[in-house]
Amino acid sequence: MAANPTALEIRDLSHWFGDFRVLNHINLRIAAGQIVALVGPSGCGKSTLLKAILGTQPPSEGSVLVDGQEILAPSRRVGIVFQHYSLFDFLTAEANVAFGPKLDETSVAFRTFQFPQWRKLRKQHMQEAREFLERVKLAEACGKYPTELSGGMRQRVAIAQALILKPKILLLDEPFGALDEATRERLQMMLLGFYQENLLATKEGRTPEYTIVIVTHELNEAIYVANRVIGLSRFHDDGDQGAMVVYDRPCPIFHPDDPKDLADFVEQREELRRAVFDPSYIKHHSKYVSFWQDLEAAEAAVGPIES
Amino acid sequence: MPVTPFRWFITASGSYAMIRQPIPAWLFWSLAVSGIVVAIAIYAGMSVYQTRINPTQSVIPGLKGFAEGFDLITKPRGNDKNPKPSWLVTDSKVTFSRLFIGMGLGTIAAIVLGIAMGAYTGVEAFFSPIISFMAKIPPTGMLVIYMVAFGTNFKMFIALIGFGIFFTMVQSIYQSVKKDVASDHIDKAYTLGASEFEVVLEVIWKQILPRVIDNIRLHIGPALVFLIAAEMLFASEGFGYTIRQSQRFSNMNVVYIYLGILGTVGLLLDYGLMRFRRWLCPWFGE
Ligand SMILES: Nc1ncnc2c1ncn2[C@@H]1O[C@H](COP(=O)(O)OP(=O)(O)OP(=O)(O)O)[C@@H](O)[C@H]1O
Ligand SMILES: [Mg+2]
Repeated sequence: MAANPTALEIRDLSHWFGDFRVLNHINLRIAAGQIVALVGPSGCGKSTLLKAILGTQPPSEGSVLVDGQEILAPSRRVGIVFQHYSLFDFLTAEANVAFGPKLDETSVAFRTFQFPQWRKLRKQHMQEAREFLERVKLAEACGKYPTELSGGMRQRVAIAQALILKPKILLLDEPFGALDEATRERLQMMLLGFYQENLLATKEGRTPEYTIVIVTHELNEAIYVANRVIGLSRFHDDGDQGAMVVYDRPCPIFHPDDPKDLADFVEQREELRRAVFDPSYIKHHSKYVSFWQDLEAAEAAVGPIES
Repeated sequence: MPVTPFRWFITASGSYAMIRQPIPAWLFWSLAVSGIVVAIAIYAGMSVYQTRINPTQSVIPGLKGFAEGFDLITKPRGNDKNPKPSWLVTDSKVTFSRLFIGMGLGTIAAIVLGIAMGAYTGVEAFFSPIISFMAKIPPTGMLVIYMVAFGTNFKMFIALIGFGIFFTMVQSIYQSVKKDVASDHIDKAYTLGASEFEVVLEVIWKQILPRVIDNIRLHIGPALVFLIAAEMLFASEGFGYTIRQSQRFSNMNVVYIYLGILGTVGLLLDYGLMRFRRWLCPWFGE
């Protein structure tokens, strides 16, 4: 764990909409290879926090560092998958995935005035896009338009679209919210698969490829796919001043082949429900913010473990 | 009970005439053809009846009248020393160049301003009151102003058609940019490395393109209304002019043929643009 570099650091971030303060002194450090679930009551500012990390809506105060560099505008270092509008309607699945390399590597001038070179490069991009679609198990959907894909397929294409640029961190804003249970489960498995690849990379001394923050309303999903749960909420002793991190603890992560037993989640789910979602449970906000201490304690007990 | 045609019709309409119920293809096409046949039959009946009352009538010409009219418009004009093309050739050249250039310029301007207004709130604030106001003035009323500004020449017709469709088109294009392009899409494009110009060109433009094409289709009708009206008043050649002159000289056969050509061209343009949209934007659906 300690070996993996910091992928994301949020320093003293606050955000106001007019006079209304949404986020209140958020501090966070996320290491490469972590899969973090972000939960919190509706309207507490989860999407606002993601937009600050993304760089499309800079925070009123504080800063966001990705890979050590401050985020001042959107860039390829941070990728995102939205719940709706995740894909461009007018592009086929493969063109959607190849859209990033196209925008990132070439300019309008290059595409217009050096058309032959652009066509050659385009072929490589499309090839690469097909490889990424295979990674999310969607090789057959290449030539289809988003309207011809199911909701689950669209979200997988969107994940491939974000991953192709190899972002330092991938943000998922309620990516599976509109999906049926079975599809949702398949996509959760996919994230667990990514985590296994991270473990392998850490073992081999490489920096893990997938660092993910996933916003979800489903506490079981949060505990199941993530190895760390962060709760954002106004229900704390300084709640009038906006939401803070009121919960930050490790959680068990599963191998995709492990049986998923919801009974294992009960205890942590109840803890989360009290700490993050219960308005009457006002407390000092740092009581459950113990991820890094928890990790140290665990490492002291059993030797180094991967996050 | 014997099955009389009447009885068949009652049974058939009982099962086929329900709201939104599909009908078999053969019935659909026979009805479509019958509609046209009935229209022609009514016209023919009126023509025969009128000719019986007044054998020299030219108000509702028959086949012979149409043949004469066709000769009249396709006959080369002028004399041997100074040959001139037929009415049809001259009028088509003049009217359709006015139509296409006017619509082309109006559309290009509307696209540029519409996207700018949809994308930049400042541009929207500056232009939207004046555009909303101008869109409500009947373009044919503005004709007088174009005449004062440009004289009764080519420029006047271009201005009439161009401005005539420009204001309403700007409104719908900028609404489309605001409604059809999600902010999430724009944010996403930025994270994928798009420059501001690329957001306009690769996201906004691509997303609204089918709406723009449908908008052009919708504006063909009004553009023809403005043009033909103006040609009747101020032109010395063109479809509107020739229709007006022919009516004065009781050449109703020419009038009908010209109207038929205008209708056909309008229909073909509309259909062609629809096919073009389907080919260019297959994702947009029907
Ligand atoms: N552009 C904006 N202008 C003003 N207020 C805003 C804006 N965007 C969000 N808000 C407000 O900020 C608060 C946080 O919004 P945000 O979308 O971040 O919540 P969220 O946690 O993502 O909620 P949900 O779980 O429902 O998606 C809400 O009260 C919302 O009304
Ligand atoms: Mg949200």
